[in-house]
Parts: sequence; C-alpha cells; structure tokens
Amino acid sequence: MLPSLNLLLQSILDGIFLGFLYSIMALGLSLVFGVMGIINFAHGDFIMLGSYLVWILANSLRSDPSLMSVITVPLFFVIGAAIYTIIIRPVLGKEPLIQIAVTVGVGYVLQNLALMTFRAEPRAVQISYLNFYVDLGLVSVHAAKLVSAFLSFLIVLGVHYLLTKTWVGLAIRATAYDREVASLMGINVGKIFLLVFGLGIALTGLAASLWMTFGQADPYIGSSFGLLTWVIIALGGLGGVSGLLASSIIVGIIQSLTMTLVSPTVSLAIPYVVFIVVLWFRPQGLFGKG
Amino acid sequence: MVAGASIPFLVGFNQYYILLALQSVIVASIALAWNIIGGYAGQLDLASFAYIGLGGILATMLMMEYNITPWAGMFLGAGISAALAFVIGYPLFRFGIRGVWYALSTAALVVILHEVSIMVLGPFDYYIPLLEGWYYLRFRTWENLYYFSLIVLAFVISLNLYISRSKVGYYLKAIREDEVAAEAVGIDIRKYKLLALMTYASILGFVGYIYIVSQRTFSYNTFSGPQSVYIAIIGIVGGLGSVSGVFTAAIILKIVEEYLRGYLGGALPGLHLLLFGVLLITVGILRPEGLSSLTDTLVKKVKTRIWGGVRE
Repeated sequence: MLPSLNLLLQSILDGIFLGFLYSIMALGLSLVFGVMGIINFAHGDFIMLGSYLVWILANSLRSDPSLMSVITVPLFFVIGAAIYTIIIRPVLGKEPLIQIAVTVGVGYVLQNLALMTFRAEPRAVQISYLNFYVDLGLVSVHAAKLVSAFLSFLIVLGVHYLLTKTWVGLAIRATAYDREVASLMGINVGKIFLLVFGLGIALTGLAASLWMTFGQADPYIGSSFGLLTWVIIALGGLGGVSGLLASSIIVGIIQSLTMTLVSPTVSLAIPYVVFIVVLWFRPQGLFGKG
Repeated sequence: MVAGASIPFLVGFNQYYILLALQSVIVASIALAWNIIGGYAGQLDLASFAYIGLGGILATMLMMEYNITPWAGMFLGAGISAALAFVIGYPLFRFGIRGVWYALSTAALVVILHEVSIMVLGPFDYYIPLLEGWYYLRFRTWENLYYFSLIVLAFVISLNLYISRSKVGYYLKAIREDEVAAEAVGIDIRKYKLLALMTYASILGFVGYIYIVSQRTFSYNTFSGPQSVYIAIIGIVGGLGSVSGVFTAAIILKIVEEYLRGYLGGALPGLHLLLFGVLLITVGILRPEGLSSLTDTLVKKVKTRIWGGVRE
C-alpha cells in the first residue's frame, strides 16, 4: 500500500519543523564540545529540566510556553555558569571517560530529581496560543510547530552572527582554535569557557520552552534528546551552523518518515542506524571538512 | 567463595535475602565482564544490556518454545552475543572509532535493539512458565540458582585475574593508556579490542538467562539503556581494571539500592540513582582512579600505622 502524496508531504514538513527545533537542542552541545572539548552527557537532561520548569511556569502564569523562555534562558545561563564552576572546570582537559562519568552523574541527579518530584507520568502544557492548524491545501501546518521552527532558525542565525561578527565571537573561535595562543593574545579563557557553557545551557532552556508548545515533559525525555543531539553533531560535523542545521533537518525528516511509513516505535532506531553507518565511513560527519 | 556459598545458611534460607544475594552476584558478574572491555581496554561500552537481552531472551525463548535446555541455550546466547559484538565491533575498530563516539555508538545499539524488539516481541511482558529442575536451571527456591551464579562469578573473576596478568592484559592496558603509542610498538589494537569486546559480550550473553530468571520476566525493556549506563558507572566508580574495586562497588551499590527502596518504599523513586549521580560526580572530580584507589590508600595507611612509616 503506497502512502498518499499528502501524507508524505505532511510527514516531510513535520520532519523539517522538528529538525529546526533539534538544531536549537544540538547547538548548545555543539558549542560546548567544539569550544571547550567537554563531552556533556547531561545536555538532554537540561532540556528535560527546562521542560518541567516551563510546564510549571506556563501553567501557573496561564501563558504560552514559548513566552517562558524570557525566564528560562537567563535562569539556565546562571545554572550553566554554576555547574561549570563547580563540576565542569575540574574535569576540563581530562580524558573522555572522566568527563562522561561526571556529566552522566549530573544527568542522573537531574533525571531522578524530576522522577522524585513529578513522578513518571508525562506532563503537557494545556494553554497555548498556537494550538491550531493552518490548512494549506495539500498539507496543514500546526502553528506551534511552525512558530517554534521559525524561532529556532532565527536563534541559530543569531548565534551564528554572534560567533562570526562580534568580538566575543572572535574570542570564542580563537579559544576553540588554540586556547593557549588565545590566552597569550589576552583572551580570558576561563571567562570564555564560563560564557560558552552558560550559553550552551541557556540554549537548552530555550529549546525546552519551544518543545513544550507541543511536546510533553517526562523524566526520560532527557536521555533520548541527549543521544539524539549527539547523533546530530556527529552527522553535522563540528564548526558551522549550516552543517548543524542540515543534519538536524535530515534527522527530523528521517524520524518523521519512519513514524509515518514504518512505525512510531522505531522512530529512533533508524536515525541511529544511519548515525552508526555514517560514523564508519565519514567520521568527520556528512558536512564536516577533512 | 566460601563466604558467598555460606550466605543461604547465614540468612536461614530466607528467600528475600537469597534473591538479593543472587541479584548482587549477577550485577557483579556483569560489571566484571564490563571491566574487560571498559576497565582493561578502556572502551566506554554502554551496550551491556544489548548482549544480556539478546543472549538471555534467545535462551529463554528456546526453552519456552522448543523445550530446549538453557544449558544449551546459554551457550547459544553467548555465541549470538559474541556474533553481535563482532558485527558492531569489527567496523567500529576497523574505522578507528573510539572515545565518545564509541560510547555513543554502543548507546545507540541498545536503543536500536530496544525499538526493534518492540516490533518483534510486541509491547508486553513475557512471564516464564513454571518449569522447574536442573534441566531448566529454574527452581521453586533461589538457592540452587544462587550457587550456580556464584560459579559464574568465580569464572568471571578468574578470567579477569588471568587477563590482567597475561600478555593480552598488558596489551589492553597499553591500548587504554595510549592507543597511538600501543599501535606504534606493534600491538594489533583492532584485534585485541575486538577480542576484549567479544569476550565481554559472550559472558553477558551467557549470564542473560540467569538475569531473566532472577527478574522472573522479560520484554523489550530488557534492552535497557539506563541499565547499561549503570553497569558502566559501577565499573568507573569501582576503578577501571580493579577487580576488587568493581566487585565491591557492585555489591555495595546493589545493597544501598535495595535498602533505600525498602526503607523509603515508593515514596522517593530514584533516590538511590540520585545518590549514585552525586557519587559519580564526586569520584570523577576527586578520585578519577575510582574507589579502589581509596581502599588502596587506606590499606597503605593502616600498614604504615602497623609497621611504622619506614615502608614505601
């Protein structure tokens, strides 16, 4: 039985929207790994934490989840800076295994705090200004997904601008390129690291508020998002938002098509098979240089 | 071993404690099998429950469907897990994938098997029918399975000790410390990493059946990502390559888990994992060598107390 054209187009479009949101989720991780060389296995759990925070805020303020980013982004920047100072700084430059151990520990703490506080049942925000569909003939567009995709795209562009067109961005790129030379040139590497890690976590707060416009929070979404964002980075290769955007959208489309054509239960399996195979033949990623 | 074997007598054949001892011994065996790939060879493998699930479910299904004894099933399970390890490990090592990318590939493997098994097994729990006796390695009470698991543990411990003292063990440790240097002095790093991975996988494939029997049920959730991470955590907290450290960590963490569960009941689910998280952060920051280094220091201190400060 062949699926109809409408269904395919709808599925691809949903995949593209999802992909844009994934790009915001992966952006912070990519910055932290690319600039600081820190392997953060708790990245997804920060998205999970943010989702619960947005759930509480949006329900108590009776407002749209996406607006909660005004609170989550600065708050998560501070949380990120604190986590950096207490936990990440001591393991800078240590072997991958130690970094993974420490960040898995952070993830465990966050995940089980959520489990103890909110239990395992999924939570969704009931109030949304964007919970309606726009009919475009062949396909119909969920407004919340469209808006979160568009906002994600703007933020990715904004971070790209920050990295390429400003002095701070230049300092960040210099640190990523060679931290010793950067520090000789008068860049305060410690401050840059604090800023980058804070920014990385702040982006998870943003991703969480966009996610909650149509998604649900449960203690385990962090694990899926964590692995998924790493897969996106592996496919995209480091250094460049275009690779990141492209690989996010590819993953989004693969996932969406798998759900439509095969089964929602294997929506992660197929992107992960692609990931493993790409890793074999192009360790630098699909869009990486080298 | 003698201490372990006497546990059922000490607890007066209380089934709750024997089951707890059985589960601790199984976790210790799994963590010590992980020690071969993770501890000696330094590859952060996060796929332990892929091999346990595959081998264990194969042996259990063969028993349930065709009445094949798990004595054969466990060896078949070991074989199929080793085959899976070869299929996944050969290209990974061939293409030089290591560090975080190795860890992620193995984590992805568990998710893939988890999702595929939902399609194959269906979204429900399987309960093992009430088959009893040595033919099924399944009994009304837990003692016999516990004794059998002790033998498995003894085998895994001796294998660890054998490896750590053999040529292969030195090769693996060299690979862990510096892969490029190990290759430069002529060690076939691909071959030895693959050997370590397949040894680890076949032990897990074998243990899978005992694990499933001790859990009384299996499902697609047997392919558990969090459980696989948990095994790696035991290996890291215990100390990479330290047999006594990993063994102690496995037993202590299991007892703490059970105690907190019994003590707080369902009031705070996940509290033990939260505490393990804190422990992991602390060990990672302060004692990257693992708990074994702590016991080593303690032993040294006690020795200097007894014999005076001249030894060193």
